[in-house]
Amino acid sequence: MAASQARKAGLPIINLLRVKGMPILQQLHLEERLLRTSSQNWCIINDGTTRPTIVMGVSGKAKELLETDAVLRDEIPVIRRFTGGGTVIVDQGTIFVTFICNKDAISGLQSYPRPIMSWSSLIYKNMFQGIGEFSLRENDYVIGNHKFGGNAQSITKNRWVHHTSFLWDYEISNMGYLKMPTRVPEYRQARNHAEFICRLKEYMSRSDFIDGTMDSVASHFALRSLDADDIQNSSSQFEPSSRILTRQELGEEASMELVGTVSQISYMAAISSTCPTSKIA
Amino acid sequence: MICRQFHQKNPRSLSQWWRFVSSATAPPSRASSAAADSELVSAIRAQDDIFKKPKMLFSSKNRCPESSWSIPIGISRCRFTTQTMADVPFNGVVDVPLAQTGEGIAECELLKWFVQEGEQVEEFQPLCEVQSDKATIEITSRYKGRVSKVVHVPGDIVKVGETLLKMVVDEDALFSQPSEILEVIKAQVPDVSKPEDAGSGLSKPKVGGVMSTPAVRNLAKQYGVNIEDVRGTGKEGRVLKEDILAYAARGGVLNETSASANQNLEGDQIIPSISSTYGWEYEDQTIPLRGFQRAMVKAMTLAVKIPHFHYVDEINCNSLVELKASFQRANSDAGVKHTFLPVLIKSLSLALSKYPMLNSCFSDESQEVTLKGSHNIGIAMATPHGLVVPNIKKVQSLSIFEITKELARLQELALANKLSSDDISRGTITLSNIGAIGGKFGSPLINAPEVSIIAIGRIQKVPQYGEDGNVYPASIMTVNIGSDHRVLDGATVAKFCNEWKQFIEKPELLMLHTK
Repeated sequence: MAASQARKAGLPIINLLRVKGMPILQQLHLEERLLRTSSQNWCIINDGTTRPTIVMGVSGKAKELLETDAVLRDEIPVIRRFTGGGTVIVDQGTIFVTFICNKDAISGLQSYPRPIMSWSSLIYKNMFQGIGEFSLRENDYVIGNHKFGGNAQSITKNRWVHHTSFLWDYEISNMGYLKMPTRVPEYRQARNHAEFICRLKEYMSRSDFIDGTMDSVASHFALRSLDADDIQNSSSQFEPSSRILTRQELGEEASMELVGTVSQISYMAAISSTCPTSKIA
Repeated sequence: MICRQFHQKNPRSLSQWWRFVSSATAPPSRASSAAADSELVSAIRAQDDIFKKPKMLFSSKNRCPESSWSIPIGISRCRFTTQTMADVPFNGVVDVPLAQTGEGIAECELLKWFVQEGEQVEEFQPLCEVQSDKATIEITSRYKGRVSKVVHVPGDIVKVGETLLKMVVDEDALFSQPSEILEVIKAQVPDVSKPEDAGSGLSKPKVGGVMSTPAVRNLAKQYGVNIEDVRGTGKEGRVLKEDILAYAARGGVLNETSASANQNLEGDQIIPSISSTYGWEYEDQTIPLRGFQRAMVKAMTLAVKIPHFHYVDEINCNSLVELKASFQRANSDAGVKHTFLPVLIKSLSLALSKYPMLNSCFSDESQEVTLKGSHNIGIAMATPHGLVVPNIKKVQSLSIFEITKELARLQELALANKLSSDDISRGTITLSNIGAIGGKFGSPLINAPEVSIIAIGRIQKVPQYGEDGNVYPASIMTVNIGSDHRVLDGATVAKFCNEWKQFIEKPELLMLHTK
């Protein structure tokens, strides 16, 4: 019925997967698998992840981007994801929205970074009317000149993924794990993390944001709602590239080899308990 | 049509075909063919805003521009490609450069290769993955061929236009000739009445049923080609850039050489011209546009879409001349050379503080003007490599001396072709001292997305009447302020010019207002 209605309306079909508290590594593995092995369009909304986790872009260098001593001391997991872009620290206060689409899914949309970025902002634009001055500023979603959402993409031959982490709420202390990046958007104007970002919860309720997002997606696509149980890992051969960095990769001294080995084991054990890499149930 | 019959009967390689059809001209050199490709690459890189330059003494046409400041739904003008673009093959080996993949992207980091040397590659097969800013992008092959050499390794930063790899390309893949020669092209004036999908931000891939990308459609317009007349050789009949180039080239060749072709077919009778009798051969030289020149093509293409008006005034520089002499007398640093420009720049910034609208940018899509906080004043510089416009950042926070040193730094880098992308980006207004070379004044074209540009002519000593009715020598400089009439009106620009003028004619006022 939905498919026939979609065809009638001319809207592309998208599978909507709404989850809550999915570990971010699991989410990234799912996204990459859907990007590379699925031929359908997907929208994933993850309402908060688990423990605070740092997520770097595909070529991020821990020493340059993180206060590695503090990260190692506090055993904060650091993930290198498969998409480009910068570094974020995510936790229960982060809402994730991801689009994975075929390159010709949206009529007239060219599968290049900027057009996709611009199109994505249309999804959220109307939600903020009368609430805040929403805009896409360079590559960030902002209210006024404060960032509340960061974006990253991966574009393949026939598909693309565009995912966003929204700062529903955050712990200011967590921002201390991130260095001021060398490459910043112009509008940041040398502001530190606290002055640069804002909390989405100051503008709307969590449910309003998620519901509003789903309504907006429904206006661009024909939705087919799925839940996690519906997604079977049929591509057991697929190896995702997003992974947790080892302590050595975070710059732990090689001379502490024996201690490092022990600490690596305990580090991985600590984070693997909350970031399962098993297939999606 | 003779040429059509010939072509059907005598299928040849491209170079052989050229040689036969145009006996009076040399076979196309690598440079000449590369020029046609280079023009396409210029068009495709039209959204590269690394280089922003003014241009003097040219007319303008009115079009709506694109903007890169607010939500840039400039998809209709997206001229990027994730397919590698190759130069014309030489001995079958093609240098495959990294093409422009996004607005303002000057370079990408190579993440990984999907192919290796010696591997056979199909058209549209992924070659590598790169990262630019927020996106990882798969780069696919434009052609079918074999990888002969991989030039970069993962982790390398590859500039747009730099060679990624070398390929031995199948000649058939590079120029797939249709079996019929197309009709002679009639020159057409491009339709400028309506911008392409400026509001929606989404472009339609099909025009009248013809499949092609916006970049290819723009190329067809540039050549005055009706794309519906072009037979597409891409998948599902898609019209590719080679189809447009080949169509345009065949049209040109047929126009210019049909007479000689007829002669050849009628028994190889060659009637030499007088000049060739005496050994004088004046051959055309085709220069592929690269670097600054290519960027100038792009900038000026954008500029013609802006409705310009020009405001001209004369400024008495007697006090400025004295001030410069005074600076030089007091100068103890042999490495610093005082010129007029730093004072002009500083006074310009003071005037902009009072008239910030001239230091703004305009978004056609959102119909918004953004008043830029920093006065990043661009200075046009003529270098051996072409015209370049680096800018001095935050002039309002710099002293005249600091501006002098920064200007010297940028000039040195410009001459050495070592300006960084930051030096030449984020400018907010441009000053062009064409008078340093000559001329009374220029009629500059705006550096999009700025809204104003100022051309200053040479300071010339002319007689002027003083207040007492006597004639005195006066150093007069003529300025021409080119402005975007969608944002600025004549009154605003006139008032701004008056404000700037008074700081130049009475530099002591700089002391009064400088913070």
